Amino acid sequence: MRFTDYVLIALRNIWRAKLRSALTIFAVVIGAMSVTIMLALVTGAKSFFLNQVEANGTLQQVAVSPQQDITNFNDAQHSGGGNCSANCVKLTDDIANKIKAVPHVVGVARIAGQGMLAAIGYGGQLLTLNQTTAYDANGIISNNVLAGRDIAASDTSGVITMTSDYADKFGFKGNYQGIIGKTVKLQTQDFYRGVGATVQPPQQCNGPCNSNNQPDNQPTTLTATVVGVIDTSNDSKAIRVPLEWMRQMQENQMYQMTPADQAADQADQAKCRKVPGPCNTTQHFSLVVTDMLAQNGYSSLIAKVDNSKNAASVATAIKKFGVGAADASASVKQQLTIFNIVGLVLGSIGGIALAVAAVGVVNTMVMAILERTREIGVMRAVGAKRSTVRSLFTIEASLLGFWGGVVGVLAGFGLTRIANILVNKQLASQSVKAHNIIGLPLWLILTVIGITTLIGMLAGLYPAGRAAKLDPVEALRYE
Amino acid sequence: MPEAASVIALNDVTRTYKLGGEVFSALDHVNLSVEAGEFLAIIGPSGSGKSTLANIIGGLDKPTSGTVLIEGNDIAKLHDARLSAYRNRHIGFVFQSFNLQGNNTALENVMLPLVFAKQNRKTRKARAIACLEAVGLSDRLQHKTNQLSGGQRQRVAIARALAVQPSIIIADEPTGNLDSARGQEIMQLLSKLNKDGITLIMITHDQSLAAQAHRIIEIRDGKLTGRKG
Repeated sequence: MRFTDYVLIALRNIWRAKLRSALTIFAVVIGAMSVTIMLALVTGAKSFFLNQVEANGTLQQVAVSPQQDITNFNDAQHSGGGNCSANCVKLTDDIANKIKAVPHVVGVARIAGQGMLAAIGYGGQLLTLNQTTAYDANGIISNNVLAGRDIAASDTSGVITMTSDYADKFGFKGNYQGIIGKTVKLQTQDFYRGVGATVQPPQQCNGPCNSNNQPDNQPTTLTATVVGVIDTSNDSKAIRVPLEWMRQMQENQMYQMTPADQAADQADQAKCRKVPGPCNTTQHFSLVVTDMLAQNGYSSLIAKVDNSKNAASVATAIKKFGVGAADASASVKQQLTIFNIVGLVLGSIGGIALAVAAVGVVNTMVMAILERTREIGVMRAVGAKRSTVRSLFTIEASLLGFWGGVVGVLAGFGLTRIANILVNKQLASQSVKAHNIIGLPLWLILTVIGITTLIGMLAGLYPAGRAAKLDPVEALRYE
Repeated sequence: MPEAASVIALNDVTRTYKLGGEVFSALDHVNLSVEAGEFLAIIGPSGSGKSTLANIIGGLDKPTSGTVLIEGNDIAKLHDARLSAYRNRHIGFVFQSFNLQGNNTALENVMLPLVFAKQNRKTRKARAIACLEAVGLSDRLQHKTNQLSGGQRQRVAIARALAVQPSIIIADEPTGNLDSARGQEIMQLLSKLNKDGITLIMITHDQSLAAQAHRIIEIRDGKLTGRKG
């Protein structure tokens, strides 16, 4: 018997019992739709993640941390600077240069973060500043610029970029270009002693003063021009400043008595003593500016590798300098594993619905065989083999699964379109450049339909076996 | 009746069934030969083994012992696939209750055996149309069989039996569900087919119908008890 004949006869039999077939197929539709939507969500999220990783060039990066025992890329990237004590090697310019010389390394970006800035203000609004970062503007760390530009290598001070959430709060939502060129205020912490801070010599307080006549700690207000608005895919509630300005902000300006000041004091004292009468001299202090960034080292470094395949070996080579280093492949793999596990779990939930649908297919086919027992007898009488009867019913069951899969995928497609509209709105509100991330790739469509067809076929095996084993004489006598 | 070789030969055929703990003999050491082109009527009371005999000849059932030679081949030894092929090519069945697919058209019903003969659709359709024309139903091709009268349905059943150009037609009480007029029409049709060379084996309890056959055999309690004709 030709395969097309099997299919046509099966389709005709399905059509004969329309209501029963429709109800059976409906159960499969529910299962197929659930599996489709869940896998589409996970597939879309995975694809979005991989696109972000590739766009950021993360797979070609090695994150370097002062902490030797850090092995995770994200931890290494965000490890703080500050005082380096045990199991810690300062990330200095010297280390950065050594890393640049490692084979397959094409460049290094130095990253400095600090908590010196407390708030950002514009137009009478003052917002708490979550994060201030600075890194080399050499293209290794890239941002998605929504308006204006990113920090350039030629920028030294007085300019910032901000994430879009700040621009939104300042009233520029939907018009990020409007804040470009505007001047914002950056308010420092009380203990700030970097560039722009008012530092007075000790025992000379021009107010406000504390009880020891020392100047009371007051925040400093810096100003900056906004040159760019960045999306929030890398960070949120953050500003970026030029690395050189970060260095200046981290400077510690303090009046100290240097050896020269001591010598001057002694000279003044000696001169004074030569003159009869009380000797009142003024102490000498000099303003000493300490480069704290050089002293403490950078928060982290990012080494760019020529090829993602070399990232792991470069990380190993960098560790020999006594620092912590990690490439992103392990993190990416871990994230993908999480996606896969989530997909498996969600798919299994949809699979439960399909299992229930399979029971429905078995029931429908058993009913069909009971109703068509005499018909089976006639088929056998006119020359159908047992295997022919078995195949007929198996194909009929498979078609129930197939049609359930097709309709389920179509329904799932419709729901993913709705989901995309909602997700697009959400992403747009966070200024993330992505659109219609929940998709139905062809492999997913074919897989779902294939699975439902297979489930139909498997569910049909028992009833088909029963039909094939019917004695034709008994079947012809069946009432 | 023309002289012809035996096309059917049953040698010492026995068919037993186990019912509960007892063994029941539906056929008991039956010997029978049927010549090509012969019209044989099998009569007997209900439960005598008529249908069992017809089923064994038709390959729907296998004997417990003995040989069943059809055109020289012992069909009792064939496995399912070959036995099914034998039925498809050599046997046409006509049943008392027609056994048609009611929601299918007359044409589709007649094409059914040809589907299992792996013929293409064009060939099947042409052959089915010819068979329906031969039984006088050329104007009922697209009618669903549940829209036809009893006589017309039995004609469709005969057309279906003819579709594979069988050498043997087995008719089990072919007029049992018809009135006398329609029954006569069917008998005339079957006689015509027999005259065209098809070996016809008819099971009936009606003596007047059996009288139209070349030969009558009577079966009682699984044994052939008499031959007439």
